Amino acid sequence: MLKPTEKPIACPDIVLREEFDDWAILFHHPSGDSVATGPVGVAIWKAMDGQRTLSDIATEIENQFEDTPNTALDDTIAFVEELLQRKFVTIEPQTDGL
Amino acid sequence: MEPAEVKTPAVMRTPRKVDIDLTSRCNLRCRYCYFFDNSSVTYQDLITAEWLQFFDELGRCAVMDVTLAGGEPFTRPDLRQLLEGIVRNRMRFALLSNGTLIDDEIAAYLADTGCCNYVQVSIDGSSPEAHDACRGKGAFERALRGLRTLQRHGVQVAVRVTIHRYNVHDLEATAQFLLEELKLPAFSTNSAGYLGSCRVNAEAVLLTTAERLVAMESLVRLTQKYDGRISATAGPLAEARMWRRMEEARSAGAPQFPIGGRLTACGCPGSKIAVRADGTIIPCNMLAHIELGRINQDSLAEVWQHSPELNKLRTRSSIPLTEFEFCSGCGYLPYCTGNCPALAYTLIGQVNHPSPDACLRRFLEEGGTLETIWTTPT
Repeated sequence: MLKPTEKPIACPDIVLREEFDDWAILFHHPSGDSVATGPVGVAIWKAMDGQRTLSDIATEIENQFEDTPNTALDDTIAFVEELLQRKFVTIEPQTDGL
Repeated sequence: MEPAEVKTPAVMRTPRKVDIDLTSRCNLRCRYCYFFDNSSVTYQDLITAEWLQFFDELGRCAVMDVTLAGGEPFTRPDLRQLLEGIVRNRMRFALLSNGTLIDDEIAAYLADTGCCNYVQVSIDGSSPEAHDACRGKGAFERALRGLRTLQRHGVQVAVRVTIHRYNVHDLEATAQFLLEELKLPAFSTNSAGYLGSCRVNAEAVLLTTAERLVAMESLVRLTQKYDGRISATAGPLAEARMWRRMEEARSAGAPQFPIGGRLTACGCPGSKIAVRADGTIIPCNMLAHIELGRINQDSLAEVWQHSPELNKLRTRSSIPLTEFEFCSGCGYLPYCTGNCPALAYTLIGQVNHPSPDACLRRFLEEGGTLETIWTTPT
């Protein structure tokens, strides 16, 4: 399971196709694999720059969307894990001096 | 009284898919080709750079898939360069082909891209006699060679059988040939429609009502025999299925279908758009006379969202069939979608009209029947 301190990076091969009503498709053209997602997923996707931790991203989501449940961090991690499994995301190697 | 305002349905920001006639050249002249002999079309090709510029725009629009047709796309000497432009812009592609120009080199390239959804090869029968009758001598052998070349290189092949008067009695042998001998997982079917060159050769090529019935009976029997490995979105098999549902609903006095009673066919302008070989943006390859703009001059997103002609097509689905004298008194009306607008246009000159070609009532009035088609439950 991913840790809150880990920093995901959105794979540059993936196309973010924003549809109407803030829904979107993440599309991996070499495989044809795609994931449909809502506005929160889009916000998470745009925040995955390798600089922000999962915890940072969850906090941003809480600030950006009203009535965010207190499971925001767990939900963010679950979403990123699904993307990681599909190879839509990589994780920035941890450089904690060890 | 003022007519009620018709609201344009919500549309995506950009099309998800684009159908492109990459060239107006073809090495064959099939007698039922929808593309040629269309007086609305300028048969001119664009240079490589113009297509590449357009593919860059498609990439910015996050288009996911392009389908390349024509004409015969494999006549383009710059095909590899064009495909590179598509892949560079993070799209997948499919090619619609007669199969005759496919060699090892291009098949290997298609496989290497990793982005080819499929190549559709037209095979119209089990023998040169059935296939070549409309496509010209030698076309069958060359198409098969192309198909086998694609298979050898691991490229996904989709075979399309277009049914006409010369192959309608060959369907059993065709299915056996494609599914058993060539071991294809599946194939799709359609029939020659009153478009393009087919209008010139209609009498020789288009199925009569009796032949349409033969095609429906054969295809329904064969889909049962081959466990769903034969598909159709239009043509006799699709009609047999749809018409059965309509007849069952009418007999039972069932409520109107959700998509019934209005001109709801087809839904294409909601997710895709097309481009002619001369760069003119059109709603669909079959509606090539409706010019929406020009690539590299007009913004695709702007055309997609705001073209009055395109939005008019999108609101077509709000037009009730009760408005048409053609549908007056029809018991199937609550279950009917009005069918293909392109065929409505070529047959009677109006896009916003039900297509007489796919009219169940007319089929029955002309001697057709549904009773002999479905002999076993599905």
